[in-house]
Amino acid sequence: MYKTFIIIQREYLTRVRKKTFIISTLLFPLLYFGLIFGMGYLAENSKQVLNIALIDESGYFKQTELDQENAIDPSSKVSLVSSKATDVLRDPEAAGFDGFIRMPALDWQKGNDSIFLESKKSYGSGTTSAVQAKLNRIWNRIKNDSLSIDESKQAILQMSQLSIRPKNMEDASANANLAEVIGYIAGLLIYFILLIYGSQVMMGVMEEKTNRIAEVLVSSVRPFQMMMGKIIGIGAVALTQFLLWIGFVFLIYNVTKASGNNMSAASEIVGTMQEVITGINMPLILFCFGFYFLGGFFFYASLYAAIGSAVNEDLREAQSLSFPVTMLVIISIALMTTAIANPTGPIAVWGSLIPFSSPIVMMARIPYGVPGTVPWWQLGLSMLLLILGFLGTVWFAAKIYRTGILMYGKKPSWGEMLKWVFRKS
Amino acid sequence: MSELLRVEHLKKYFANQKAVDDISFSVSEGEIFGLLGPNGAGKTTLIRMITGIFYPDSGSITFQGKPFDPIHDVRHIGYMPEERGLYKKMKIGEHALYLAQLKGLSRTDALHQVKQWFERLEMQSWWNKKVEDLSKGMSQKLQFVSTVLHEPKLIILDEPFSGLDPVNSNLIKDEIHRLAKNGSTILFSTHRMEQVEEICEKIILVNKGEKILDGTVGAIKQQFKQNHFRIGIPAPTEELLRHAPFDLIRTSEQQQIVQIREGKSTNDVLRYLLDQSIPIHSFEELLPSLNEIFIRLVGDTPAARQFQNA
Repeated sequence: MYKTFIIIQREYLTRVRKKTFIISTLLFPLLYFGLIFGMGYLAENSKQVLNIALIDESGYFKQTELDQENAIDPSSKVSLVSSKATDVLRDPEAAGFDGFIRMPALDWQKGNDSIFLESKKSYGSGTTSAVQAKLNRIWNRIKNDSLSIDESKQAILQMSQLSIRPKNMEDASANANLAEVIGYIAGLLIYFILLIYGSQVMMGVMEEKTNRIAEVLVSSVRPFQMMMGKIIGIGAVALTQFLLWIGFVFLIYNVTKASGNNMSAASEIVGTMQEVITGINMPLILFCFGFYFLGGFFFYASLYAAIGSAVNEDLREAQSLSFPVTMLVIISIALMTTAIANPTGPIAVWGSLIPFSSPIVMMARIPYGVPGTVPWWQLGLSMLLLILGFLGTVWFAAKIYRTGILMYGKKPSWGEMLKWVFRKS
Repeated sequence: MSELLRVEHLKKYFANQKAVDDISFSVSEGEIFGLLGPNGAGKTTLIRMITGIFYPDSGSITFQGKPFDPIHDVRHIGYMPEERGLYKKMKIGEHALYLAQLKGLSRTDALHQVKQWFERLEMQSWWNKKVEDLSKGMSQKLQFVSTVLHEPKLIILDEPFSGLDPVNSNLIKDEIHRLAKNGSTILFSTHRMEQVEEICEKIILVNKGEKILDGTVGAIKQQFKQNHFRIGIPAPTEELLRHAPFDLIRTSEQQQIVQIREGKSTNDVLRYLLDQSIPIHSFEELLPSLNEIFIRLVGDTPAARQFQNA
């Protein structure tokens, strides 16, 4: 135990003291928020006003009404054109327009579905539908006038709607939209942790082999202690980084909350977080996250350790040997996407029970509600299977590790490695 | 001297070769013991069993009079493998501490030992240097210190001089003798026979996983001597050789290498030469080197050829 602890300590301290750890821990949240705010800022400031000429052959549209609508939605400016119509039709850009709509003669009872926004450049459906909405609002008023529906009746027509939302009978706090977001975030976080820190374990073991320190160590400690020390040490690094991030978020949350309710983007996040914290079963999700994070990490890290012990310094060898393991993680993410869309479907249920995908898939399902969406027995079985699963991979990896760590030369195949596992010691 | 290590009928077979095939020997306390053999003879496999890295297929290892228990006995063994390395990014002081603690020393004990050894080998100023900044000789020194600083009863050195310059080689040699004098037992494995003759008292010679010879260096040389002598006389004439009690093997202007004939003694040779009034400058017995003995024993095999070139 003492020796394993010494190894854990070294693995942990050498990594946490590294500049790259400190930088990546600080930079990741900064980049993340920068990306969100930066995109919002860019979207806000790069809007261009689309100048559309309306050649009206129906006689329904008036410039005053168009001006009103242009003021409401400034993303496009629709102007009636009558005298310069031939110039516009020939070359809208020379006439000072981005495009034109040629409105044919219209029947107010039928409408028309073959009207085009014609332009030299291509515009997306989003742009077209904004212009369409603008003209339809005018068109609705024309229809209302023709049907003699006054403004109070219009209000009734607009406001009176039936709205249907999902509500879980067993878990009143379940919120499908929120669950989707949290499920995605939790699943993706575990995915990143498995891949990034799993490969760190692999590189760490390879380093011991290429440095030729493996045999020096193995004469003092058991290979199993070496492997577990490395896995636990690196797992602790991942946990530290993760806790620091949570700490940052709560710090930002409290600082912005204390600084008063200004309409900044940060306070929007505060609002969302308040909704998150009150809207879901936070303690359960955090507990499960911790469990699946550790379980998944042990499951995959031991496999990566086994691969690291089997190959030599060549990174390509390691990549080709670790490909099947990495594929399992990627398949889990694919299963997660399906599970979020349909959290009680067979793929979601099986994916959250099988140990190789359960850390990611189950974490995506849990926010939908326990025991509403995920029955207790499924959660319990999934946890039990994951524990058995990682005990299995640790056992399997330990067998490969103690042979591989002292083996130099040709890269073994998965078949040879299986032989190492099942031969007697 | 009491016995520290006894190895009996040790066997370790791998899929396609007999790495160690029924080897027995014993090492006494305070002895410098040589494990000799060409590359691939099974030396490293044998050592890995003695250090608890491999389990033997059959046979027994007795350490300090009790069956060898890897978990507890590694505390008393210091092993410097042939494939030895260090963590490049670690500081030297921390590295030595780390390896000492892995042997089971507490942090304070480890610190005390490391400081003492660093002082003796004039390494104090290295403490905060990184391993990657060390020269090869310096890192070998650090490895040696890491091997011995937990005061092991048995020190196993696998090719300790490979890659060392003569200055550092001598330094390590002196340390080996000092450690042996203070009661440590040293098992020294190498394929360089001439190093063993200088350092070791007892040896075992292995080839292809089998023991082919063991005993003290002196006794082995006596056992394999061929009555070769070096005589300081001018090159002999045909006439002189015709009745001489010896055969000429190699000749040069001032020194002749001869083999004394069966049934004749050194005194017969000297008497014959005196009778012929030949001035004798020197007379010396030539004992075979371990190299020659090894080649004679294994014959003209690829393993032996390796040494003929050396």
